[in-house]
Amino acid sequence: MQLNHAQRELTLKIVYYGPGLSGKTTNLRAIHARARPEARGRLLSVETHEDRTLFFDLLPVFFTSSTGFKVKLKLFTVPGQVVHDATRRVVLQNADAVAFIADSRRSASAENNSYWRKLRSNMREIGLDATQVPVVIQFNKRDLPDAQTDAELEEARKKGGEPVVGAVALRGEGVMETLHALLQAAWRNLDERMRLARNIGLTEKEFLTHIFQQMDLTGTSLESLYPSSAGRPR
Amino acid sequence: MSADKPGAASSAPEHAGSVLQRKPSLVDMLDPLTFGDVVESLGELYRVGIRVLDERGRTLADAKGGNGDFCGFVNTTAQGRARGAALVARLNEGPLAPTQGAQALPGPGPLGGELLALPCFTGLRYLVMPVQWEGDGLGRVVFGPYAPEELTDVPASLAEVEGLDVQRARELLAHVERLSEHRVMKMLAHVAQVLAALLAAGQKAYLTGQLHLEAMLETQRDLEAQNAQLMRLNQRLKEADRIKSSFLGTVSHELRTPLSSIIGYSEMLAEGLVGGLNAEQMQFVRTIMEKGNTLLKLIASILDMSQIEAGKVRLAFEWVDVQELVESSLTSVMPQAQRKGLTVKVQWPAVAQPRVVADREKLRQVVVNLLANAVKFTPGGGQVEIRLSEHGKQKDLGVEGYRIEVEDTGVGIPLDQRERIFQSFYQVDDSPTREYGGAGLGLAIVKSYVEGHGGQVSVTSEVGQGSCFRVVMPIEPPLSGQGPAYIPPPIDTDPDRF
Repeated sequence: MQLNHAQRELTLKIVYYGPGLSGKTTNLRAIHARARPEARGRLLSVETHEDRTLFFDLLPVFFTSSTGFKVKLKLFTVPGQVVHDATRRVVLQNADAVAFIADSRRSASAENNSYWRKLRSNMREIGLDATQVPVVIQFNKRDLPDAQTDAELEEARKKGGEPVVGAVALRGEGVMETLHALLQAAWRNLDERMRLARNIGLTEKEFLTHIFQQMDLTGTSLESLYPSSAGRPR
Repeated sequence: MSADKPGAASSAPEHAGSVLQRKPSLVDMLDPLTFGDVVESLGELYRVGIRVLDERGRTLADAKGGNGDFCGFVNTTAQGRARGAALVARLNEGPLAPTQGAQALPGPGPLGGELLALPCFTGLRYLVMPVQWEGDGLGRVVFGPYAPEELTDVPASLAEVEGLDVQRARELLAHVERLSEHRVMKMLAHVAQVLAALLAAGQKAYLTGQLHLEAMLETQRDLEAQNAQLMRLNQRLKEADRIKSSFLGTVSHELRTPLSSIIGYSEMLAEGLVGGLNAEQMQFVRTIMEKGNTLLKLIASILDMSQIEAGKVRLAFEWVDVQELVESSLTSVMPQAQRKGLTVKVQWPAVAQPRVVADREKLRQVVVNLLANAVKFTPGGGQVEIRLSEHGKQKDLGVEGYRIEVEDTGVGIPLDQRERIFQSFYQVDDSPTREYGGAGLGLAIVKSYVEGHGGQVSVTSEVGQGSCFRVVMPIEPPLSGQGPAYIPPPIDTDPDRF
């Protein structure tokens, strides 16, 4: 989190972590597609010609609160390939919440585990306390034939305290729900530790409403929570 | 996580932390030279001044419009100059808000924020377009001054400027190109589009480059930490190695003294100095002597090796007849070979060869060790052959030299072990139940002594068929001309160069 009282700006950093080709960039693309143009920046991607993230993707989302505080979310992905460990650490620095995008296929379990451990060790290496930075797990590719069952997902959920969200990011399913869980967890964590709400005069509900009213929530479970305020989002 | 104290923001360095934490700036994202050219060409196209400033009021690009004569003329008066300067200051650094004479135009600006119009006292007009990027204000583009279409005559505010030739001003004003509102808006949209494209490309390149750099630094820090750890470990290993060598030297020495007594007293017993022994007693005493001698040899090689590793072995060069030396070496392994029932063959050069320069004792030990090894690892009924070559140019060494080859029909050495058998304490079979005894020092000593002479030792072997050790030696070792030489201890790193 970067909080600049003088310029009344708050920047939160959310990082999407996970194995290569698990769908981190796809998540960002789906968020980009659902966010109103005036509330988002460009989706910046540096890819190899095989369509794999070389460094990171960055999607900024921003709004100004009723008290005049400028709030900006920076959504990042890390490169999935093993060789980019240093880049992953650089991108992960100062993250306020981490989405772990797991591949639901049974055949990907080993890879998921390996990257989960990598995330833990990366966080340790850069001094991010795993108990202080909320992590949300997204089980992506729920539509593939080899995917784990809902019961198995439930098992995975019970193994830890992290929120678990099922998703088919390519179709945009579960993407907004994951982002919602992330932002909620990030806000609650920062509020608890830094009294963020009182500090900048913004409640959790306002914070989330400001963001999700700028998103097209059609077909998501968030639709009723954040009815669109003005006009149709694109 | 970082939270600035209120008011402390401006004291923070501009480029602190990761590039991903920093607010982008126009200077970072645009290439000043080419961007200047682009703005220049846009200014020429629309015949309007265009100035691009970053959020700190620094000018990045500045294209002059077609109003120079008129404005220059107004600026010749003190009052005109003062009012012009005040207006330019307001344009460049004033708030991006409809205050201090600025009016907001309807609708959002093409790059975010509000478009502001600022009338000049000369009747001309300026437009200010804020540049916002991902919600951050990065700077502004100032257009103008240009003459709005509806401007017909010099306004009262200009006419009242002291000392101004109004008639001349009117003439010059007539030459300033009029711009319609429509054209101005088109220009604005055009400039905004070009700027957005350049910013998008620039931001990508900038972030990628910077992040690459950060990742490299991160990797370098990793490597440095690992290197430091390896150095520490290496240091400890070297120290441990030194202590081991010194310990071996001391212990070997301490072992030899009592062992000499054991052998000495056994000899005296065997020679009947304290009375005759019966046949069985004699056999026991002989066994004590024999085993004692084996132990003494082993201790001697350990001592040799520790001397080698401590860099304390001195080669005393003299003229040596190699054939004679090989013959005498053979005598020390013959008893053992005969006991095992081995055939020992010798092949001499066709004619007697001149003497060579070498350390007699060390060379003898080389030959003895190789022969002893061959005898040890060749099963009964096998054959050991030693061949001495004639002198001649040795390809491996590049100088005149000779070869000594010891070939056996023994167990052989697996391919992957052939380099390592020359390391101290290495045994091909290091299992606790191994068949052959020894400390694994013989070949390490051979290698060290041969290389001390400037020679080379190599092995060819076939498992189950036998091995052939070949020693290539120069006739005159490179260091022999300078008196006695020390064999350098086996070090795996280069010595200091400077």
